[in-house]
Amino acid sequence: MLEILVACSQISCYAYYVTRSTHDVADQNPNLGRYSDPPLLVLTSLADGPKHGHAMIEDIVRMSGTRLGPGTLYGAIARLEREKLIEPLPVEERRQPYRLTAKGLRVLRAKLATLHGFARAGLRKLEAR
Amino acid sequence: MNARLVCQLVSLYPQEWRIRYGEEFQSFLETHPSNFRTVLNVIGGALHERVLSFRRLKMDRRQNSLALMLYAFLGAIAAGINFYWTVDDTSLAAAIYNYSALFTSWNLVRAGSFLALAVFATVGIPLFLTMLRTAFAAQRWDVVCRLAVPPCAALVTLAWMVTAAQLSGGHWVPTPWDVTGDWTAPRDWPPLATRWALSSVTFVLMMTGIILSAISIRQAIRRSDLSKHRRLWFTASSMLLAASVATMALGVLTWGWFVQEYAASDFHVRNGGLFSSTNFASWMASCIVFLAATVMAVKGARSALSLKTE
Repeated sequence: MLEILVACSQISCYAYYVTRSTHDVADQNPNLGRYSDPPLLVLTSLADGPKHGHAMIEDIVRMSGTRLGPGTLYGAIARLEREKLIEPLPVEERRQPYRLTAKGLRVLRAKLATLHGFARAGLRKLEAR
Repeated sequence: MNARLVCQLVSLYPQEWRIRYGEEFQSFLETHPSNFRTVLNVIGGALHERVLSFRRLKMDRRQNSLALMLYAFLGAIAAGINFYWTVDDTSLAAAIYNYSALFTSWNLVRAGSFLALAVFATVGIPLFLTMLRTAFAAQRWDVVCRLAVPPCAALVTLAWMVTAAQLSGGHWVPTPWDVTGDWTAPRDWPPLATRWALSSVTFVLMMTGIILSAISIRQAIRRSDLSKHRRLWFTASSMLLAASVATMALGVLTWGWFVQEYAASDFHVRNGGLFSSTNFASWMASCIVFLAATVMAVKGARSALSLKTE
């Protein structure tokens, strides 16, 4: 019975992932690339300093063309905080800002370096055509 | 977003998540533009967190072994009740005493059930009482409530059966095995439609009771500390239970085989099967549940045996 409930929840989760990016700016402007890994997007958004939820969403739209939904954003925030990659700062006017931890900074640097190498390799392949 | 809608959406998240993020998520949503996709996204997020919280509450091997033993025991009870009522008061019951092979396989089921009851009495009940005592001492009312579910479910079902039997004239007990079939119902029984309705309620109560008991006891096990119990408790009892359930499954399977050999005509009539199905169909249902219970019991035994590697 429990297994059936878990299976149903997992199916719902797949449905959730389909709708998790509530509004892709890239759909309106095909020149903008689209990247959708919510925890990495949140980490990257915090790379230049602490931000609260709304500021993160707008920053992520500017960076990646993806507008995260509130459920997706807080899912990513909860996961990153559990993994001690980000930490909350004191509340400002009912808004909760977050910042990267030292570990978060290291992880983000490593991830972006990997992506950078991957992108360069891909571009080289394209240029060689 | 509407404050009332926000409250309802936030309440979908698991409690531990709400304790940490509830307030800030609520104020975030209140200033977020509301539309259908946003609501869907938050509902999806809540479901995702619920699955994650379920995964985080993993049980240790002792708890896992005990939970699997519980499923096996409850499965064996359900299959055993169905098997007994399928055979009871039919020509198959008489055939058991006419053919030694049938009698032997029937006794195999009885031996398995006695062994399972012995395991339950010597390990299950003391463990249940220890969990109850510990929960009372620690004022863990959530555990106490969950442990109270199986006896309450059994009492409710019994009370329903007694009340319904009294209300329908006192000559018929509402069980799903005595509704109708290839036989003439006694005159003092209630009409067929009433028998269908009352026995359906009994069936639903039985199934709900078993499923709720499995869920609630599993949750109580997960909330209880079983690390102080000796490994032998789990290994010995799980192996004995696996042996007993496997014996019952073997007995039921061989019984069906021999009935097909010696009393096939009685086996394929609608004479006592669940909800007026044939005895064969009802026996088949018991076999499937017994085999599933055996798999659970063997898994429980394996989990208990792996305790020494912890």
